[in-house]
Amino acid sequence: MSDHLDRIKAAVIGGRHGEIKALVQQALEAGADPSTLINDALIAAMDVVGTDFGAGRIFVPEMLVSAVTMKAGLDVVKPRLAAGESRSRGTVVMATVKGDLHDIGKNLVSMMLEGAGFKVMDLGVDLSVEKLVDQVRTIQPDILGLSALLTTTMPEMQKVIGELQRQGLRDRVKVLVGGAPVDPGFAEKIGADGYGANAAEAVALARRIVDAKG
Amino acid sequence: MKSNSRNLVMAAMFGGRRGGRPAVGNPTSIACHGLMERAKVSFPEAHLNARAMAELALAGHEEVGFDTVMPEYSVVQEAAALGAQVDWGDRDKMPDVKEFPNADFSDIVVPPDFLEKPSCRVVLDALSILRRHVGGRVAIIGKVMGPWTMSYHMAGTQNFLLAVGMGESDKVTKMLRQLMPVTVAFINAQFAAGADIVVLADHATRNLVGPYHYQEYLLPIHQEITAQVGGPLILHVCGNCSDRLELFAESGVDAYHFEWQVDAREAVRRIGDRVSLAGNINNPQVLLQGRPEDVHHQARYAIAAGVHLIGPECAIPLSTPIENLKAIVAAAREGW
Repeated sequence: MSDHLDRIKAAVIGGRHGEIKALVQQALEAGADPSTLINDALIAAMDVVGTDFGAGRIFVPEMLVSAVTMKAGLDVVKPRLAAGESRSRGTVVMATVKGDLHDIGKNLVSMMLEGAGFKVMDLGVDLSVEKLVDQVRTIQPDILGLSALLTTTMPEMQKVIGELQRQGLRDRVKVLVGGAPVDPGFAEKIGADGYGANAAEAVALARRIVDAKG
Repeated sequence: MKSNSRNLVMAAMFGGRRGGRPAVGNPTSIACHGLMERAKVSFPEAHLNARAMAELALAGHEEVGFDTVMPEYSVVQEAAALGAQVDWGDRDKMPDVKEFPNADFSDIVVPPDFLEKPSCRVVLDALSILRRHVGGRVAIIGKVMGPWTMSYHMAGTQNFLLAVGMGESDKVTKMLRQLMPVTVAFINAQFAAGADIVVLADHATRNLVGPYHYQEYLLPIHQEITAQVGGPLILHVCGNCSDRLELFAESGVDAYHFEWQVDAREAVRRIGDRVSLAGNINNPQVLLQGRPEDVHHQARYAIAAGVHLIGPECAIPLSTPIENLKAIVAAAREGW
């Protein structure tokens, strides 16, 4: 069985999107446990991809293809999960802040979080403070993930956190921030709960947060 | 050499004579709220009206003391002229492309009157206004997007990078080659309109792609562009590009505009004998959030390292305090 898992893992890491559905199908037919297949092959592969990305060995084009490959594999496995196994680890609302239409980083994080078992509500780009806070009130997510690519838009993150505080919602949601101009110092300064330098870090952070909640 | 702003900048561009002090320049936008108030113009007007563009650019020289004036604040003037739907933003929001006309990688049709489309014409007119006002005294910088950045706007960044990742090199190369004449024509038109220097902004940044992508897809195109244009070029690629500096130096540009993430001493040591280096003052931590002393410290580091043209590393955040921009000028005025 580990041969099947290794082949699936290698296909995701190598971005061999054309092969993944057949590989996953073969593994399932050979009796692979769907949950093991997700965790030990598909997600484990994206952990490697995330590490390689963080280390500068690969870049966004390769990571996108791996993420697309992982998602194609997930689509084959998910219907085979038992009811209890398909329960989400937690809900994450993702958005790019107002004035910013860049979404690759956010999309990668969303795909990786989905792969890791989170329910992801991707609100898109250019989200106003008011809209975001409304959505937090309505959806009541465990985590709010905010992305900004531009130095011109990163101050919006602070406005969102401020408004959550003003409306008494801040204690109910953890706010994670990321994007090219953002760093841990900025995250701390604006009162965010965490910062991820890349998609893999963001997922690890989200896992820690929900695990800590129990 | 008379140490006026233009001469200081042009000498810096070619590693020439040292004037009385280092030159301060902005290959990318220094438009910020403080400058808008002083110039009495705002966004989106300063993207769409030549006089407003020029007024805001002039304020960078007259109010802050930069040695350059650069009147193009957006990165979407070309995409708008090519038919992309652009949101021109407002005082607090930079313009961006809303819908990508060639998301399916269909052929890009360059209108024969491309340079006369309003979003291009306005830049050319602003450069001519600046020429009439400060020509010969202050270095006038134009700005043009390269084919890589325009591909982000025409196909969508994620879509374009996914094609790169999928190894669809015919598709990617075709789009780049169809856009290359746009870059060349707009650069040459900006020189004819009055620019002393033009910035070639092409965001093959480390945040997105690897040096091998640049080498395979873009370096040959940059070499063709630099062979076809008639004046000095500054290449702008933001992000930490330490892993591709030598490739940039092979492109044929005269200078490279770089971020603080690339150590200034390292950059000068590695490519400073082949191209001039511009920029290097950190935007998010220092210019936006720091104090004038922090800016001064970083500017003096860059000057000591041998950076030829000191300035912000990229387009500055709109809420950057004007005092921090002045701190760059003050540091340069202390001399070498």
